[in-house]
Amino acid sequence: MHALIQAIILGILTGGVYALMASGQTLIFGIMKIVNLAQGALVVLGAYLTYTLFTTFGLDPFLSIVITTPLLFLVGVVVQRVLIRPLRGSDVAELSLLVTFAVALAIEGALSFAYGSTLTNVQPAYANSSWTVLGFQVSVVRFVAFVLSLVLLAALYFILQRTKFGRSVRATVQNPASAELLGVNASRVSAIGFGLGAATAAAAGSVFGMLNAFNPGSHYDLISRLLTVVVLGGLGSIGGSVIAALVMGVASSIVSAEAAPIWGDFTFFVVLLLVLLLRPRGLFGARVRGAL
Amino acid sequence: MAEITTTVALPAQGEALLELGGVTAGYGAGLILRGVDLTVNRGEIVCLIGPNGAGKSTVLKTVSGLLTAKDGFVRFAGNDLNRLSPRERLGLGIVHVPQDRSLFPGMTVWENVEMGAFVLNDRALVRRRLEEVTERFPIVGRRRTSLAGSLSGGEQKQVELARSLMLDPALILLDEPSIGLDPKSRTAVFASIAQLTEDGRTVLLVEQNARSGLAVAHRGAVLEAGRVALTGAGSALLEDPEVGRLYLGASAAGKTPRLDAAAPAAAAP
Repeated sequence: MHALIQAIILGILTGGVYALMASGQTLIFGIMKIVNLAQGALVVLGAYLTYTLFTTFGLDPFLSIVITTPLLFLVGVVVQRVLIRPLRGSDVAELSLLVTFAVALAIEGALSFAYGSTLTNVQPAYANSSWTVLGFQVSVVRFVAFVLSLVLLAALYFILQRTKFGRSVRATVQNPASAELLGVNASRVSAIGFGLGAATAAAAGSVFGMLNAFNPGSHYDLISRLLTVVVLGGLGSIGGSVIAALVMGVASSIVSAEAAPIWGDFTFFVVLLLVLLLRPRGLFGARVRGAL
Repeated sequence: MAEITTTVALPAQGEALLELGGVTAGYGAGLILRGVDLTVNRGEIVCLIGPNGAGKSTVLKTVSGLLTAKDGFVRFAGNDLNRLSPRERLGLGIVHVPQDRSLFPGMTVWENVEMGAFVLNDRALVRRRLEEVTERFPIVGRRRTSLAGSLSGGEQKQVELARSLMLDPALILLDEPSIGLDPKSRTAVFASIAQLTEDGRTVLLVEQNARSGLAVAHRGAVLEAGRVALTGAGSALLEDPEVGRLYLGASAAGKTPRLDAAAPAAAAP
């Protein structure tokens, strides 16, 4: 029982970070109806930037978010403007898969060139410290990462629900033609939306680098997990993807603890297959699809 | 974002506000409009009727800027609209309410109406407009926290009309406002449209339901095969036997609509 609860705690904390990555992925899908296959690579890029800021300048990995987030926001805006926006015609969805995959490969290549392919890790002094709460181990890094993810998700929610820009994003998601008629600049909304999606990847990447050993190829594994979460959450619903991330985090953590860690990774794909077979629109898809 | 305000000097009541001359437009190589001449005076409701495919919606699009005229002129209060972006036309006070449901279903009624003033940055002005619009369309206040998608078709149309007033527009383009509505909602929508001109607004209305459209309009225009075949007072067109036969369902249903007899000028080969 103790082991089970410990696994659930670990799963929730890990799931929070996936929720952050997936929320950016969902935002991009919601606005532009494209699946961003570079989201995992952007997370890894964020992790490497954090690594360099930490090892070269001694900047705390959590604090480095202040630098990595705006930087990747800009990268996202440029990627959208230069590579996604010129896509035209009825097959934009398919073409954008190729384009974002190419972006992922380019990031992987650049990182391999700069850092090599050895697994690395961001290890601040408190990396291995943990608190004992009621007999359960809570890792400091995981806990702070979880809280940070919640704060950033809340900020994203606030931007979408309470600001004029957020309203224009939701309007574009729900009825793009009508939004344009009211003067919303869809191309600007798309660029900033892509930037915000990349920014969440940057923030998640800083944390990811402390929780996992990574190398430039880590994005393949990441993107497959993210796609699982996003599909499970019902493509286009941020709330759905947050819940899906927590469900997946807990499920794989329990399987790791009760069976073996290797089966923990496998859980993602078993769940994805089951969802696609039994509920192809995701856990929440039918109800909130397309509303963000 | 640059502030957009309505700065255009409008003509006096009853004088030409919107003028289209020899307008051709279409998608790709094909032409839908083949030389449209139409004048809409300030304070008027003008109703465009005509068969499917005649180009009624396309006329509205060339005015709001969703489509640019290939040839001919589109003038609004003396300004050449062809050179302006849709957003700039919005700034001049031209609002387009499209045919399909145009609300944002997952946003509240209040947010939807607020979106009508998206191009305005003056918060106090937006708040004042919200109050005026709510007074005029009580449903906006009554259902303000409801999601727009949960409203009936007739209620949604009322909210769309309310939203169109947020820019205090001089010209409102209404595309098939009564489509898909039950008779009671249809009556309510036409009543709301009739009220729009009370404070000097101008309405260009496209209506498949020609009888109701002409009844509410000061003037009507019959569009046929991309040209204006006939114009006249709304009441006169309603009583015109030829228009009645072709568009008001008096008889000859299903016959290819032609107006040669009534309007020789429109004689298409």
